[in-house]
Amino acid sequence: METKTEARSDDLVLRIEGIYKSFPGVNALTNMTIDLRPAEVHAVCGENGAGKSTLMKIITGIYKPDRGWMKLNGESLDIDSPIDAYSRGIAIIFQETSLFPDLTVLENIFMGHELKKPLPGTARLISILDYPAMRRKAKEIFDRLGMAVDLEARVADLGVATKQMVEIAKALSFDSRILILDEPTAALTNKEVDTLFETIRKLKAHGVSMLYISHRLDEIFQIADRVTVIRDGEHINTEDVAKVTKDELVSWMVGRVLTNLYPKEEFEIGEVVFEARGIVQAGVLKGIDLELRKGEILGISGLAGAGRTELALALCGFTRLDSGRILLDGKERHFANYRQAMDNGIVYISEDRQKYGLVVPMSISENITLPLLAKISRGMGIIDRAAEREINDSYMERLAIKAPDGGFVVNNLSGGNQQKVSVAKALATLPRILVLDEPTRGVDVGAKSEIHRIISNLAKDGKSIIMISSDLPEILGMSDRVIVMKTGSKMGELMRDALSQERILELAL
Amino acid sequence: MKHKRIFTRETILGLIVLAFMAYLSLTTNFASRNGFFSMMLDVSPTIVGAIAMSLVIFTGNIDISAGTILGFVSYTAGELAMSGAPMVLFVPAAIVVGMLIAGLNGWISVTFRVPSIVVTLAMNMVHLGFYATFLRNSGWIENLGDNFTWFGRGMFFNLVPYIFIVSLVVAAIFIFIMRYSKFGKTLYAVGGNRQAAIYAGINPDRTVIKVYLVEGFLLGIAGLLKAMTRSDVLPSSFQGREMTFIAAAVVGGVNIMGGSGKLIGALFGALLVYMLSTAMIYMGFQDYYQFALQGVIILIAVFITVTDFKALKHNLRHAFAAREGK
Repeated sequence: METKTEARSDDLVLRIEGIYKSFPGVNALTNMTIDLRPAEVHAVCGENGAGKSTLMKIITGIYKPDRGWMKLNGESLDIDSPIDAYSRGIAIIFQETSLFPDLTVLENIFMGHELKKPLPGTARLISILDYPAMRRKAKEIFDRLGMAVDLEARVADLGVATKQMVEIAKALSFDSRILILDEPTAALTNKEVDTLFETIRKLKAHGVSMLYISHRLDEIFQIADRVTVIRDGEHINTEDVAKVTKDELVSWMVGRVLTNLYPKEEFEIGEVVFEARGIVQAGVLKGIDLELRKGEILGISGLAGAGRTELALALCGFTRLDSGRILLDGKERHFANYRQAMDNGIVYISEDRQKYGLVVPMSISENITLPLLAKISRGMGIIDRAAEREINDSYMERLAIKAPDGGFVVNNLSGGNQQKVSVAKALATLPRILVLDEPTRGVDVGAKSEIHRIISNLAKDGKSIIMISSDLPEILGMSDRVIVMKTGSKMGELMRDALSQERILELAL
Repeated sequence: MKHKRIFTRETILGLIVLAFMAYLSLTTNFASRNGFFSMMLDVSPTIVGAIAMSLVIFTGNIDISAGTILGFVSYTAGELAMSGAPMVLFVPAAIVVGMLIAGLNGWISVTFRVPSIVVTLAMNMVHLGFYATFLRNSGWIENLGDNFTWFGRGMFFNLVPYIFIVSLVVAAIFIFIMRYSKFGKTLYAVGGNRQAAIYAGINPDRTVIKVYLVEGFLLGIAGLLKAMTRSDVLPSSFQGREMTFIAAAVVGGVNIMGGSGKLIGALFGALLVYMLSTAMIYMGFQDYYQFALQGVIILIAVFITVTDFKALKHNLRHAFAAREGK
């Protein structure tokens, strides 16, 4: 006898059960479960690093799950590649990455699955691309979306919102029944968001089911039917949006245990050394004020896309300000480039060590002394090897970098030790102010607490630190004061005694 | 339908070429000294070679050994013709040799994950060494008969060389292929956004090997067009031709970083590069000025196609603003 629940689970368009996925050192997904009903918008939310992206990549065949199964319309589903997913009617809307900038809208939509027709007079031996048919179909799709897009326009010339419509049109050209939208509003203006939501409603009316990945709670209440919260790779809760409040969602998203990994030490905090007033960068930073005191650790929190890294880059002279002032010891300074910021005692330690922080094929000592080459070279630019070794050895010891010697190639170090080399390189310039961007991303737990100890010691030595972090426990554990950002604006500032995960998330969401 | 722009890069290039011809015809004895005729003869292999090179560049690769591949092609054709083979035999044989050698470039680059610029630069040297070591007289063949040269020297109505028609037909076919075939789109995709190409179900490695095979096919034709106009063949004399092909492609708007450009541009690029050096000869400049000029043209063309003018403008504006502020 068939039970009612079984009958209903057959109704599900997509069902994902017990998915596990781990990467070296990280369990990205643990027993992940989620389903999708016909013509529903199902929001998936969670903090940075909760496992949203991994989940999507599994559904679209970019990653293979270690365990677990998926069912599409009640039939077992095994996906090898995104194109495989597309052909089974599951499409993901990437954030611009899957478009070809130099090709036209039409070429982009049909790339890889062009419509063809036989070339006249070749007895069907040669087939050629059928532009009229592709144009017809593309126009049909854009009509359905209620959009007019020039099919012959070069994609690079389009705005972000239109590019996204091209992505959606591309997905629909496969007659997709399931769309996955990954942070679709991240780069859109309010008006463009409205248009997107209009499109989503139209698609829903056409019976398309959507997984809507976002950490913008307001949007979830506007557009979604159900919402699933995931945290640390685990499914926390799924509920009808109508039956849930924003506070409940926030409480599901946090609730992470705070382990006392970070020895927060209290020291004397001195006078203001660094100030930023009304920092504006068109479309990115909307008038940020901040001040930083001697010996202080200032945490900067916010979700991905809040503009934290952009702020750091602007403060350190990597990018230009459209307006705003930077004051060092009360005196106004202009940093035309990073070198000038460094010469004024400000260093930036990038979140992406491999890309911006270190020259990984070079040795530890070469990396540490890279910003100091002028100082340690004698006449004719010949490097003083002894000076290089001396600097290297002192920092390797101070930061306890685990490697046989300074000649060791950075590429072969663990993530934690690479990060220490990054810090050493920054410290070797004898800075007063350190801007640390995600200082412990991708390092293991032991190295993490060691890096925190180093940061703490630096503050004790009277250095001032700006620490950008997506890791809430880290922000809570380390900061004397926290600035919370959202879409390029400062949402609030919390002193240490007022800090809590809930307070920060409330401001950040 | 949206209106089409009349002054595209390609039409402007075409106009520049025409302007050059007009200028030379009016101010020098270009027209009277069979200038047009020798232009058609000389530019034909360049057109086909520039198209071959463009296809490779579309995918984000390059072939520095294209010149020496021409050497192998012409040697193969010459050697066979010397032993009395007719055109129907030595032409396909030479083309197959071109495909094999160029295909090897692609295969090595893909299989061993070596950037094509390194592979083909190395192969360029290997080829030169091969000529000197393994070919009789370094591959120099003299006194080739009519069976070799009749096509290269043949003309329609004593006016238009056969080989010029061949080069235009080849250009037309490949312009058609780039627009109307999946293969054409695939080349742009791989060079434009490799990751997205994979997501669209395209195999970039296979595409790269394919494009080198097609390049080899075209280099086969280009090598034959060049060789068959003469009664002797010297493989090493083709070294350096690749630079002309690259120059033509780049001047024609083919993006050296891959992913964009048009073959019609490469066709006009070939004409323009030819016209520039011819103009210099007519104006009495020495050979070596031409090299320098070709280099400068490549630089300017790359600057125009690769530079992000928006960013450049933004940076310059800020640089000036900063100076005024100080």
